[in-house]
Amino acid sequence: MTLLQAILIGLVGWLTSMYAPTGLVGSNSFGKPLAAGMLIGIILGDVTTGIILGAAIQALYIGVVAPGGTLPADVNYASFISIPLAMSAGAGPEYALTLAVPLSMLGAAATYAVVTLNLYFVHQQDAMIAQGKLSLAEKMPLLGQINNFIFRFFPIMLINYLGSGFAAKLLAIIPAQVTDILKIFAGMLPLIGFMLLLKMIVKRRFELVFFVFGFVLVAAAEMQIIPVVVIAAVLAYLDFKYSGDRKEGSAI
Amino acid sequence: MSEQNKRISKRGLVKAYIDWVFCSICLMNFERMMAPSLVRMVGRVREELYPGDPEGQKELMERHEVFFNTEPYFGAVVPGIVLGMEAEKAAGGDISGELINNIKTALMGPFAGIGDSLLMGMLQPILLSIALGLCANGEIIGPLFYVVALLGIMFPCSWLLFQYGYKAGTNAAHHILAGGLKDRITQAAGVVGLVVVGAITASYTSVNLGLVYQQGEMQLSLADSISSMMMPKLPVLLMAFLSYYLMVIRKWSVQKMMILLLAVSVLGYFTTVLAV
Repeated sequence: MTLLQAILIGLVGWLTSMYAPTGLVGSNSFGKPLAAGMLIGIILGDVTTGIILGAAIQALYIGVVAPGGTLPADVNYASFISIPLAMSAGAGPEYALTLAVPLSMLGAAATYAVVTLNLYFVHQQDAMIAQGKLSLAEKMPLLGQINNFIFRFFPIMLINYLGSGFAAKLLAIIPAQVTDILKIFAGMLPLIGFMLLLKMIVKRRFELVFFVFGFVLVAAAEMQIIPVVVIAAVLAYLDFKYSGDRKEGSAI
Repeated sequence: MSEQNKRISKRGLVKAYIDWVFCSICLMNFERMMAPSLVRMVGRVREELYPGDPEGQKELMERHEVFFNTEPYFGAVVPGIVLGMEAEKAAGGDISGELINNIKTALMGPFAGIGDSLLMGMLQPILLSIALGLCANGEIIGPLFYVVALLGIMFPCSWLLFQYGYKAGTNAAHHILAGGLKDRITQAAGVVGLVVVGAITASYTSVNLGLVYQQGEMQLSLADSISSMMMPKLPVLLMAFLSYYLMVIRKWSVQKMMILLLAVSVLGYFTTVLAV
């Protein structure tokens, strides 16, 4: 990986992190591992591999909810460090995914650091308002980005730049057995993400039949995603109508 | 007070909205969460609210230093309501600063709940699931679909909610929070979510059985017998049920579940029950 590529990945990583001044266009859209994989792929010149690795991480983190802006895990380091390192070492999704797990914890730690250090600028804002320097007070949320920048740009850029050679060497000495075990592990790991999602969506347990239905459509009927969505939408419409009837007391 | 008396121009409203959508969690902190960004947002239109009145502008910004936290995009209705009330107050309406803060504080919780469950619990996972289904071999259409669909839905939605909050004030909150429509939509969206998640569970997870029973010339592979019976992905479905039982019903933590899966992988590999 060239220095320029590492710098670009660091910049994109910062701009798509949770508290970047990109808001809706940042962590919620381009910051998702799937989209991040695409951006990293563009920077490193292999979009397809970037997306495949991004999709693997995305599957695991699909159900991560950060209620009230607090984070159980952070996908920023998980995407912007593990995808480029795996790509430059020529490693498969199982390595990107395995690397993503500890990195997401490290990312959460970075988030806490930023949120804590931000307090300095919050109090500066109070002080500026008290002194009547309103324009400066207004700029504090932007000036405070320095914290987020330090904790996102530099770790991502440095680990990618310094670590890519090391990652390739490390991969070369890992025995084939470990790779096989990680492949089995990576095959099951997305279940965690999907179950976190079910935990949130399923209100009554019988609704799991919809999950099984979707599963069978792909696993046994080998259907593509678009027809699955169409069928799901029809079911949702029926559910919407039916639940309306029940409220009016005409059914059941 | 009627809308005509409110002082913020359309341009000012757009400016405040853009600021909110891009910077709402810029200076996130545990003490007051999003408050610094709300201060910035009202600061952006302070000249329109209190032209040539530095004291009024200062009070305006000071008022919003207090704790504020909601979901920024579906919850954009709350900063919208805040601006609407501030505009009425600035125009001489009988509204105390305390009232504005009380209403803001009362609304931020419910909208954080609704926003989080709609955006992070419904919209994002459903769009991501579809996107994942579109790019199983790394096709660029997957991530592009996600980004375009999310922004294409969320920009108009958050702008309309913000504007609605500004115009309708506290009535806006009443309309949105009352009525069962939201619950029915959420439930129907849940059906789409469940079917689609089931679909990508089938395409993104794999549990391959390796067990081969050998007696003399005859070879019996467990994986082959299952595929011939019904579907090769049956072990995945069973594993999904086990994970659901442990994580949702027994409330296992993610870490615990990961350790279990790793242990299963290691044991499965060495006993040849599981294969790559």
